[in-house]
Amino acid sequence: MRAVVRNGVGVFSPQGFLDGNNSTAFLSIDDIEATAKLNVDMILVSLKKVIFFNRNGLDAFVKMFLKVRAGNQATVGFCDYDAKKFEAIVKFYKDDLNFSLFKSQDVASLFAANFKNQNKNVLLYSEDKSQRAAMAIELHDNGHNPIIAQSEEEFEEKSEADNAYDVVISHTHIGQMGQTVAARVTGNAIIYTVSSFLDAEIGSTFNIAYHNNSLNVGFRLFIFDAFKVVSMNVHALNFFSKLASAGAEYNATICFVGLTFDKTPIAFKETLEDSGIMFFQQMDDILQNKELLDELGASSAASVQNIRPLNKVMVTELPHFIDAAVATIEMMTNSKATKDAVQINEIKIDNKEDKIASSIGFYGDMDGMVILIFPTGIAKKACELLIGEETDDIELILDTLAELVNIVGGKLKTLLLDQKIHVDITLPRTYPDVDSLLEITEFKKGVQVDLVFDNDKFLFFLTR
Amino acid sequence: MIDSYIDKIPPSPKVLKVTLMLLNSGELVKAAQIAKEDLALNAYLKDLVNKPIYGFRNEVSDISQIFGILGVAKSQQAVYNYMISLLSPAQWKLFKLNKTTFSNLQADLSANWQKILAHLNIENKDIESSITLLPASIIVSEALFNEKIDDVNLLRSAHPIDLNTILKRLCKMDLFDICEQISKKWEMQESVAQIIQASSGVKPSDNEEINMLGKWMHLLLFYTLSQPNYINAELNDFIDFQIDYVEDIYDEFSQLLIKDLS
Repeated sequence: MRAVVRNGVGVFSPQGFLDGNNSTAFLSIDDIEATAKLNVDMILVSLKKVIFFNRNGLDAFVKMFLKVRAGNQATVGFCDYDAKKFEAIVKFYKDDLNFSLFKSQDVASLFAANFKNQNKNVLLYSEDKSQRAAMAIELHDNGHNPIIAQSEEEFEEKSEADNAYDVVISHTHIGQMGQTVAARVTGNAIIYTVSSFLDAEIGSTFNIAYHNNSLNVGFRLFIFDAFKVVSMNVHALNFFSKLASAGAEYNATICFVGLTFDKTPIAFKETLEDSGIMFFQQMDDILQNKELLDELGASSAASVQNIRPLNKVMVTELPHFIDAAVATIEMMTNSKATKDAVQINEIKIDNKEDKIASSIGFYGDMDGMVILIFPTGIAKKACELLIGEETDDIELILDTLAELVNIVGGKLKTLLLDQKIHVDITLPRTYPDVDSLLEITEFKKGVQVDLVFDNDKFLFFLTR
Repeated sequence: MIDSYIDKIPPSPKVLKVTLMLLNSGELVKAAQIAKEDLALNAYLKDLVNKPIYGFRNEVSDISQIFGILGVAKSQQAVYNYMISLLSPAQWKLFKLNKTTFSNLQADLSANWQKILAHLNIENKDIESSITLLPASIIVSEALFNEKIDDVNLLRSAHPIDLNTILKRLCKMDLFDICEQISKKWEMQESVAQIIQASSGVKPSDNEEINMLGKWMHLLLFYTLSQPNYINAELNDFIDFQIDYVEDIYDEFSQLLIKDLS
């Protein structure tokens, strides 16, 4: 059984009965190895569809948790259970509860490092005082407003108030949390949150693959939110200097916000500035300053200097790129596509109205970016399979479109691998309108293929 | 694609039709004589009843003997199981099954269904046979999705979605609707299809008895698909387990079938 990975959270969903006889069938050694290698912030086992479990049944998953934590420090635990199941797990692992328990995946997402849902008013209660405090700290660190109920009565009373809280947390336990450096995207800037003492550990807790992917997909401004950093040593200094040098190749800028030098030698600041790193007092000093953002390259995700022509290998493999996109969208819409026109030029969109777009980058034996531009109608239809119903919620459609383009990327990876071409894919990006896409693709030449799905035009663009 | 799949389902062979008709009227000896004409049916029945779950000490080999031991209802169930197995592919691709594991699955479901019906004091040939149609949903999944294994796996690696839901969202028809079509084509009793539809867990029946049987069958399916062999065959999550649907019968079910899980 493999985990379904979304927004940096991998979830296993066994169904039925979990006991000592079948738990190893749910999780083979290969599954555990593959999970430990996943680049995720959180690994969860959902008990939503499990009607019966005993300790032997959970043990196989707990062993996997240990392996995953040893491999990538991700947060691990069970989720989606009722009060009865929660009490059973706490009883089974009374003295050895070093994993987390989240009542639901929504609750877990508040503790995840992806900052997907921010600024939630959260009412929380746990019988265990230290758990209450630990949860409040984690939630606060992740940008939420936790309100702690000090007693069960207070919790019951407060939780009955209508619309007072976005989320109510009970029957939750946090074990060892992830130690990875949290990342979130604001516009075209990526913000990493670092805290306490920065030392050699930063090399393992900072997700360098995510950072490199972000560079590949076109992000140019990286901000370290360092308000909670106490000090850094020379190993961390070297790490950040190297990160800045590596980013320079892409014209990327690294900034520190809120870093104080009370306990960090001021000479470190000069060394970091020599590497091109900039320092700011407040986040708004950057994010609210449009001119500065333009200068730092965050208003446009692509660097003009980074324009590279299409090469022969990419043109040769073009059918695979088109196949990956077409096959996926055909499957998702249950309709047939026909090719209308192919041209090599800058991207040309006749009618910009009512269109949304998504892109995914790839790198390895070849590198570039696939861009898909959908009339909103087709995007809705293509996402219907994943959402399960018709919706006009553009946020939901864009989120689902990111999943869809991720599937296209996965398909592309497989098709190219058949040709012995190894590529990795970056995180998908979505664009709510054509103008925001054009900021990225401006002046870039590529192959544009106009496709028709049930009389609706859909545009595929391959560029570097 | 679904239409062409349904069109391709062959009508039930004449020998089986007559055998079932005779079994239905209680004519075990005559039914056995007719059944003997179909050698594949003979081999299937022999293999089926000698599985450990049937619990016979000595090998049973003669078809009259088999029908005699099984009685009318179980013989009818066995013949239906054989008919369903005729639809199974020569080589499984989507699920890691083979002829033996699939027939074990049929036997496991049938034997436990008998226990459930005995517990519920239900004696009805058609209801006893209804369980035989359930594995058809697995065959249909295999047939419809095997050519798109990679795409389906890719989709399911990015989004938690079961095969039944994929089919329903794409074609407005699910695996259990196709099972119903099979039962109609093979002239099975209407109640068989109704119970199977309820056993999907997503289409409760207005008829209280059928709904209750649907719940037991849904839970039995997931009890069976939680066995290591079927998890290894990747059957555990081919459809969505509706835990809320079966909650009210769970305690009774566990007392009846789950002996040593703790």
